[in-house]
Amino acid sequence: MELNSYAKIKDFRIKRFKAASINNEELNLFHDFVHESVISVALHEVVMRRGQPSSPFCFFAMGSAGRMEQSIWSDQDHGMVFAAEEPTDLEYFLDLGREISNGMEIVGYKKCSGSVMASNPLWCKSSADWGNQLDYWVTDSTWESIRHLLIFADARSLYGESTLLSILKTQLANYSEKDQLLVRMLHNTMHLKKGVGILGQLLVETYGTFSGSINLKDTAFFPYVNAVRLLAFYEGINGTSTLSRISMLSDSIMTPVEKVFYREHFSDLLEYRLVHGSHIDYDAGHYVDGMALTKKEKKILKEILRAGEHLYEKVRRLIERM
Amino acid sequence: MDITFLMNSLWVMISAVLVILMIGGFILLETGSTRMKNAGHIAGKTILTFGISSIVFWAVGYGLIFGTGNSILGFSDFFYSGYDVEGLGLSGPVFFLFQLAFAGISLTIAFGGFAERAKLSVYLVFALLFSILVYPFIAHWIWGGGWLAEHGKQDFAGSTVVHLTGAMAALAATILLKPRIGKYNKDGSANNIEGHNQVFTALSVLLLWVGWFGFNAGSTISVDGAFFGFVALNTNLAAAAGTVAAMLISWIVVGKADVPMMLNGALAGLVAITASCAFVDTWAAVVIGLIAGILVFYSIRLFESRKIDDPIFALSVHGTAGVWGTLSTGFFATPELAAVGKPGLFYDGGFEQLGVQALGVLACGAFAFIVSYIILSIMKVSMKGLRVTEEEEIIGLDISEHGSYGYPELVRSETIAKEKTHNGSSIQQAPLNSQQPTVN
Repeated sequence: MELNSYAKIKDFRIKRFKAASINNEELNLFHDFVHESVISVALHEVVMRRGQPSSPFCFFAMGSAGRMEQSIWSDQDHGMVFAAEEPTDLEYFLDLGREISNGMEIVGYKKCSGSVMASNPLWCKSSADWGNQLDYWVTDSTWESIRHLLIFADARSLYGESTLLSILKTQLANYSEKDQLLVRMLHNTMHLKKGVGILGQLLVETYGTFSGSINLKDTAFFPYVNAVRLLAFYEGINGTSTLSRISMLSDSIMTPVEKVFYREHFSDLLEYRLVHGSHIDYDAGHYVDGMALTKKEKKILKEILRAGEHLYEKVRRLIERM
Repeated sequence: MDITFLMNSLWVMISAVLVILMIGGFILLETGSTRMKNAGHIAGKTILTFGISSIVFWAVGYGLIFGTGNSILGFSDFFYSGYDVEGLGLSGPVFFLFQLAFAGISLTIAFGGFAERAKLSVYLVFALLFSILVYPFIAHWIWGGGWLAEHGKQDFAGSTVVHLTGAMAALAATILLKPRIGKYNKDGSANNIEGHNQVFTALSVLLLWVGWFGFNAGSTISVDGAFFGFVALNTNLAAAAGTVAAMLISWIVVGKADVPMMLNGALAGLVAITASCAFVDTWAAVVIGLIAGILVFYSIRLFESRKIDDPIFALSVHGTAGVWGTLSTGFFATPELAAVGKPGLFYDGGFEQLGVQALGVLACGAFAFIVSYIILSIMKVSMKGLRVTEEEEIIGLDISEHGSYGYPELVRSETIAKEKTHNGSSIQQAPLNSQQPTVN
């Protein structure tokens, strides 16, 4: 089947996602393929309307897509960088961003509630403007700028000229006054929602449709993802997935034994969400029904959560000592 | 005039004022724990129903409780004219005012179960009927020389008479009214309908805490031996212990240092010590408060899981803690302090006092619930429902029952924005922070 329309891509996604959900890597490669197919269709639409793009561009994913950690349902977090400089070029690529965003929504990816999308001028810029933007975010150091930097840190090229993104990521990695920025980043992301109580019980949601369920996103994923992202930023690592970032950390920051320990637990977490998550929709995908878990499954989850908390504390102490 | 008489009168007058000010505490408690679209209604009806309760108490309530009669009810002293009562040791009107305040508090507690969905007319009619058919019976049984007083039931300031009675009426109401719109999802899970102002709720607890010195210490109705100081001390200790216990248990079990739960713990400690404040040692007051703080936490979760929507937690704070407080004297009452009844189980008193306390709880709880349920059921039929319409509940009882909002600028602007969104207008008021990106 030629995937030359959003409707066809949607059908394809619905038919194939179960087969692709055998593990995290397969599932994320499948998401990448669907995204690339949407971008191709969107580009074709825009070329029909406005002609060929005037310069090379790179469309990149951020958030869980950037980290290759999407669950079955996922929302949109993306941006674009292009080489051209004229104001009309910006119009062109914003139009492309809107087309991609609408296409992705049709295919089944919710739009980002915070508007982190290539249809937003903040996330769709020329190379030069992106360079200035990153400098501004670094020097501004306000809560919002730090948040934007943390989002950008997970950017991964999906389509087009990946060098355009690599240059920007290198610019960020080479920033000289990292220590101070790191402390600000720590304060921005290191709020921890506890998953295990002091009596060793799983802390479940008490209200709403997910009462009785464990919020894996807040209690399990965030400690690992946020802690490792900070370490990766400190060491100038360009990898975006949490697992690859852990592997690339220097031994002085994390010993080889610790790397194996945290990698194993995070891999287990990705697997755990895939197997036990209630994947009815995007929100439900983050939750695991506590009542449905066996004693053994609860034990595994507690170990994952405790290891995440341990990592969180380790990174907090490390950065605060800097 | 006898100086002791004057001092007693002055002390109880001050206490009456403190207890009446607790109505202010309940206004802040109930409004703070509910949504702003109902705030004006809740504040206003609380004053109004205290007015109704005061007049009914003057006309018949006082006579039914303290009048000469039998072990079930009194039948004299209606339309009290301000005379002194022989052998009371303090001014008759002061005693009357003090008792009137208690009746008003019990009714206010009952209305906690009505919050955010009952018609204003229901409040008015039930205020009248509760003040005649429910509260006076129980107050007479325990404080007016009725059958439970004859058994030596210990309820110094009203864990049963005031709090349990109010809570049982609240339970009947909340069962008949059914949960508020949006409280429960289709799958049966509960939503947290958050109160609009935690500062109000915290201030209410402080106001109630201070008022409780009038409630409990004032119930000595005498300055003799300055015993009121000891009662106030026990009261404060139990409140403090309830606060700490509720915060700790919430933190331990759900991993959150939950502020409303902590505040409920303070109130539960106060409710629990109300029965026993004059009969137990200080260490026991701490234990009673601690247990109350833990009980209230589990009680709130239990009622919620049973789909009983209790908007301001009246059932748990006043009901469950009221039961525990009443039973607690059966364990902790000391031989020296048990001026009424017998010492408790831990002081070689055996199970006798505990049995009397349990009997009192069962009899009073059942009576208050059944009579309130019957009254409200009859009202439901005769008044074509107890509850406002769905539309009225959504726009808020401020506007549906009174024609104006307690927070006019804020609620109106939100309503206008919603209407415009609904009508497809381009003017939309985005929720705060809706454009904040998240790092996920």
